[in-house]
Amino acid sequence: MQLFEDFEPEGADAAGAAGEQAPALGGGEYEPVEGRDRQSIECQRACESVAAKKTASDYSHIVWAYGIIWALFCGYGILMWRRAQRLAADVEALRRRIDNGK
Amino acid sequence: MGRLFPVILLGVGALTLPYSVQRVFLDTPIERTMGTVQKIFYFHVPLAWIMMLLAVVCGVAAGIQIRTRSERAEATAIAAAELVLVAGLGVLLTGPIWGHATWGKAWTWDARQVTTGLLWLVFASYVLVRHFGAAGSERLAAALAIFGAVNVPIIYYAVKIWKTTHPDNNVVGSLPPQMWASLWPALGGLLAMTLGLLWARIRLERAEIALDEAWVGVEDAPQEA
Repeated sequence: MQLFEDFEPEGADAAGAAGEQAPALGGGEYEPVEGRDRQSIECQRACESVAAKKTASDYSHIVWAYGIIWALFCGYGILMWRRAQRLAADVEALRRRIDNGK
Repeated sequence: MGRLFPVILLGVGALTLPYSVQRVFLDTPIERTMGTVQKIFYFHVPLAWIMMLLAVVCGVAAGIQIRTRSERAEATAIAAAELVLVAGLGVLLTGPIWGHATWGKAWTWDARQVTTGLLWLVFASYVLVRHFGAAGSERLAAALAIFGAVNVPIIYYAVKIWKTTHPDNNVVGSLPPQMWASLWPALGGLLAMTLGLLWARIRLERAEIALDEAWVGVEDAPQEA
């Protein structure tokens, strides 16, 4: 298994290098804003939507899995507690029986 | 000490498990290929290890019980078998949930899934025979428990022997340190919780056996006029 934070997408280095090479602009210089084209934005939104759906689905699976584990242990604990109660009642019945037999 | 020990173990489990959940969700990075759903791993895998450990404990205790008629071994075998069912059900339910998210299919009939399912059925049979079996059925039950214990190495090596969708056993050994740091508390918490329940269940079973004998003694005792 590999951590997500260790993962470097292809071309990340190239993009980083291009960023480093960009000339630093002074405070008063005009910097034209280049907006992204609609296709890139829609592509990014589509990726975000897929990622959001995957995360939501993952959370739902995790909640079920963890819920089942806790429920199983709690259920077994309750069964044991009920069994202990029955045992205590049985001990009491035996005690009464012995007392009556005397 | 006998009464206190399960309480201490359950207390350790009750403290460690919330800590491990906090570690898993807040301090452990997301796995690259599976994403967030991989966090099921931190409880699914320790639960599988615990299930296999308890299956071996049950098989050994049942074998000892058959040879020595030890009441302590009998109680241990029954308690361990019940907890195999609890842990096994946890493994068999969380596994398909994880599989549904990562493989796209909850149950692929791969060798590890099938052998784990068989282990669960064998121990379910053991518990049913112990619960409803007639006098003398404990030998049949012990045979089932021993068969169940023999199934444990088959589960472990299933991924090496057959082609499976389950990853190789080495995947745990190759975990990054951050994942190991979250796996240990989860394993420790679940183990403490399971051993605490095991200990308490053994005590309960021994008390039930003693009470049954006491009832038989009272019934057989001559009534005073």
